[in-house]
Amino acid sequence: MTDFGYSINTSSRMNLDDFDKESFDKLAEMEPDVRKCMACGSCTASCTAGKFHETSLRSAILALQNGQEGKAIDFLKGCMLCGKCTMVCPRGINTRHLILSILKVYGTK
Amino acid sequence: MNNNILIVGGGPAGMEAAGMLQRLGYNTMLVERSSKLGGHLAAWDRLFPKGLQAKETLDRLTAGINGVKYFLDTDINSINILDDSFNVILSNGITILAKAVLIATGFDLFKAEKKEEYGYGIYDRVITNADLEAYYKTGKSDTIQNPKSIGFVHCVGSRDEKVGNLSCSKVCCATAVKQACEIKQRFPEAQVYSFYMDLRMFGRYYEDLYLEAQKKYGIRFIRGRVSEVSEKEDKSLLVKAEDTLSSKPIKVSVDLLVLMAGIRPAEAGKRVGRMLHLSNEEDGFFSTKDTIRDLQMSKIPGLFFAGTCTGPKTIPETLNDAKSAAMEIDEYIKQNFPDRK
Amino acid sequence: MILTILTTAVDSIADQEVIDRIPSGYSNFVIPFVVGMVFILIYLLVGFIRILNHIPWEDKKKFLISLITPATILKNIKDIIFDCLLHVKIWKRKPLLGYMHSSIAFGWFMLIVLGHIEVALFVPKHFGSISEGALFYPIFYRFFVWVNPAHETLRSNLLFFLMDFFLLYVLSGIALAMFKRIKSIALGMKHTTKPSLPDRIALYCLWLIFPLRLLAESFTADLSGGSFLTVPMNFLFKNFFGNSLNFMPTWWAYSIVLGLFFVAMPFSRYMHIVTEVLLILFRNAGLKVRKPRKGLAEAEIYACSSCGLCLDACPMNIQKKNLKYSSVYFIRFLRRHNTKKINEIAQKCLMCGKCYALCPVSVDSPAIRQAQRATFNNCLPYDYGYLAKAADTGLANNYGDDGGKQPEVMYFAGCMSHLVPVIIESMKKIFKEAGIDYVFADEDGGICCGRPLLLAGRTEAAGEVMESNKKMIEDSGCKFLVLSCPICYKVFNEEYNLKGIKIIHHTQLIDRLIDTGRLEVTKSDGSFVYHDPCDLGRGSGIYEEPRHILSGIGELKKASKERDESICCGGSLGSLTLDYKDRGEITQGSIESLLAEKPREIATACPLCFKTFGDKAPVPVKDIAQIVCEHLAQKQEDKIYSEPGIPIAPEKESFAR
Repeated sequence: MTDFGYSINTSSRMNLDDFDKESFDKLAEMEPDVRKCMACGSCTASCTAGKFHETSLRSAILALQNGQEGKAIDFLKGCMLCGKCTMVCPRGINTRHLILSILKVYGTK
Repeated sequence: MNNNILIVGGGPAGMEAAGMLQRLGYNTMLVERSSKLGGHLAAWDRLFPKGLQAKETLDRLTAGINGVKYFLDTDINSINILDDSFNVILSNGITILAKAVLIATGFDLFKAEKKEEYGYGIYDRVITNADLEAYYKTGKSDTIQNPKSIGFVHCVGSRDEKVGNLSCSKVCCATAVKQACEIKQRFPEAQVYSFYMDLRMFGRYYEDLYLEAQKKYGIRFIRGRVSEVSEKEDKSLLVKAEDTLSSKPIKVSVDLLVLMAGIRPAEAGKRVGRMLHLSNEEDGFFSTKDTIRDLQMSKIPGLFFAGTCTGPKTIPETLNDAKSAAMEIDEYIKQNFPDRK
Repeated sequence: MILTILTTAVDSIADQEVIDRIPSGYSNFVIPFVVGMVFILIYLLVGFIRILNHIPWEDKKKFLISLITPATILKNIKDIIFDCLLHVKIWKRKPLLGYMHSSIAFGWFMLIVLGHIEVALFVPKHFGSISEGALFYPIFYRFFVWVNPAHETLRSNLLFFLMDFFLLYVLSGIALAMFKRIKSIALGMKHTTKPSLPDRIALYCLWLIFPLRLLAESFTADLSGGSFLTVPMNFLFKNFFGNSLNFMPTWWAYSIVLGLFFVAMPFSRYMHIVTEVLLILFRNAGLKVRKPRKGLAEAEIYACSSCGLCLDACPMNIQKKNLKYSSVYFIRFLRRHNTKKINEIAQKCLMCGKCYALCPVSVDSPAIRQAQRATFNNCLPYDYGYLAKAADTGLANNYGDDGGKQPEVMYFAGCMSHLVPVIIESMKKIFKEAGIDYVFADEDGGICCGRPLLLAGRTEAAGEVMESNKKMIEDSGCKFLVLSCPICYKVFNEEYNLKGIKIIHHTQLIDRLIDTGRLEVTKSDGSFVYHDPCDLGRGSGIYEEPRHILSGIGELKKASKERDESICCGGSLGSLTLDYKDRGEITQGSIESLLAEKPREIATACPLCFKTFGDKAPVPVKDIAQIVCEHLAQKQEDKIYSEPGIPIAPEKESFAR
């Protein structure tokens, strides 16, 4: 095989075409609050599990919108549903149900 | 026929409108419930974006109301809407028959203790933007003793459904950046953090202020909302937030935490609004006649608004709003009472 | 024809008080009743076996043991009499409604018992022998016998009197029930349930049974005896109709209505009459709901009388649109296996436990909802691999760092308390003031107690979390675990099984400290109302300590609904789907109830309630610990306590409920 001096690596650029609209719409139907996040980071900052393990609802929502479902699940797997994020969310997002819904839609594939 | 116009509220909006209406030849009266004019401006040290002394602006406003009759320490007891005028009874017993009434009741600062997790009123070293201005003005404070690190928390009581206010208070971003620069001027060695959700530096010169804060003062801007504050043995504070740009929860110790309390409609203004059955928007501020053009008009003929009683505004915007209101009132009287003079 | 039989009977046994008018003990009209009775008996038997089958072996063992344990037997008997017959629970809340239920249940029961006594006394051959008509004979006793006027005795007259008395008693209840259908508010119910078709059939049958019984017995009263009710009726009928032609049709109608009632029963709410007994046995055996539709849960479901008392109890029903999420409808859909609806309702509930507390049958619908949630949430992925690391590096490290001196007291503030720093600061001050040496387990954040996971139906995940906390606490060697959050308190108490460690909520601790003089508070002219947090009050039975503390500091005012009727603050972690706006409505309703007597401050003992009420209440909201700190008496001198622990002998159970 001819050596061109470089190989085709997987791009580090996120491809928004990978976004799974169908699943996201399904999720938004289960918990419309997924579209309410303004990415302030309150949930992640107060997260009980976040002290021990990278846990972030904000990042999970972002990952889903960027087509990285697996990453999103990783951000939520450590969640203990303690509800602190619900209390601090300035947009009043029902975070616990959103987390359960994300796990339901993307986690059981 | 009388030429009476009553202005409710003696802050910048009320004062500016009063001065203009007086110069337009009306018999202008101003009612202020506190014991001095100037509203929040009187309590502020310097103003963004250029750091002008608040006192200068206030002095000019005070000079402008020459001839206006004003009542301090006075509340509105009742307002009755008559055919073409308003019958207003003041708490000092005076009754005024006014052709037009201008509501300039302004705002209250959000009560920061309502965000329990920030510990205002519980931890000694958590203060508000107003407390910091008082310190700048007087140079005295028990809590500010050569702090090594200082945090500013944006959006306290703003953009927060949990405290019933979804809107942005508009002025806190610029105020926070201004105050951060000022604290660096006083304590050049201190490390200053500014926790913001979005930096809304929308006005003329604001971006310069932001740039100066970064370049000249080295303020560290962290994009993340503070979620918890706890006090350590030595009274310093442990602040928890997420640095959303690096996607990591962070904690940092500060010696002083300044909460940027947002703008809420004034309770006293709401009381006057109830007397007149004025409607509010969901944000609690009075509804104006429309949202593009008639921003100084209410749905009641002869009743006008000026300043922050219809939503957060900067000082220049407030003064412009007051001028517009004065012009609207002038036009209203000319149209409805052509034989007034 | 009847008369000929009668005369022969009279001749042969003329010296008896009661004469077996129809020696065969049978008449065709009993067929509908017998069919209904046989049907329901078979149905119940099959149902019982089915339920037993679905109960796991260890629960079955528990159940069987409970049936031969004397203490449990006594409790079973007591509960059956108080709950099933007298309906004491309803009496306590709504006396008129209580009267209605107990008159029908107890009255009917007494009629059956007395019927059997009559048979046993007067025609013993029909007693106990199915072939001699034992199934129906006592029920239709009056039809089959003739009272010998020559041998009138006191005991038969007394029984006649009692029979009439209890019939009247039942009839008064039926009349109230009919009235209730029209005007439920008069009996203290704002909302009632809409009955389903089988409910209606069974209901109308039930309404008809006793009036028909009155008619039937009245027609026969001149033959088979009667008392103050049936005899005058008989006299009236005789003069009105002039003959006994209506004799048979009314007995037929009575039998048909009874039979129809029994056939409709399994498909209607009236299954509760029998299922409640089974539920009491299960509950007293200590069984817990594991599956949402099978085993114990099935008994719970069928024990629901669909009375609708939970409609008024549910805090969500401050908005009419939420009526459909009430327990009564949840259980109705469970009976109908309507999974979509069941799931929707199961997730909506705040799990405040008020419906359970006020339920006359004590149907544990929160437990069923939790089990239902598990059916779809337990399988979701999770990974708590970090817990092992957390136990090593986090909490345990806080403990015993200062050279082996290990305090006996561990303070665990809980996740939510970290959002209300005033609680933590107050507790620190109180510990210091009382001279208690303690370790703050989750000062820099800890592991969740696991109850939120349990409530969401993530049973397995909760188990891991709890195991990890348990290890941390037990390894620490502490003797007391002080908690500030009722959510933690409930789960630590019920699920953790911490050996040798007393679990104390901070209200209990403070109350104890004040009682023993370790804390001194000054009485002020303030006034307080206490909000019972769901998990502390209804959930853990702590009502007195907080009130005792507050009445020592100021005037304690009452809420319009308090103690087990207290209204959830609306912030509960129990609900998965209730949105922020609807929660706000509940919060307003709760605040309104608290402000009934215009207290100056609202006191609570839960960080979640504190935060939820927050700025929504027009008066200050404070935690009890905070109030106590504000009213601490000036210390005369710095007392040094020889015992830096909690002033209670460890073997004393005074902190247990």
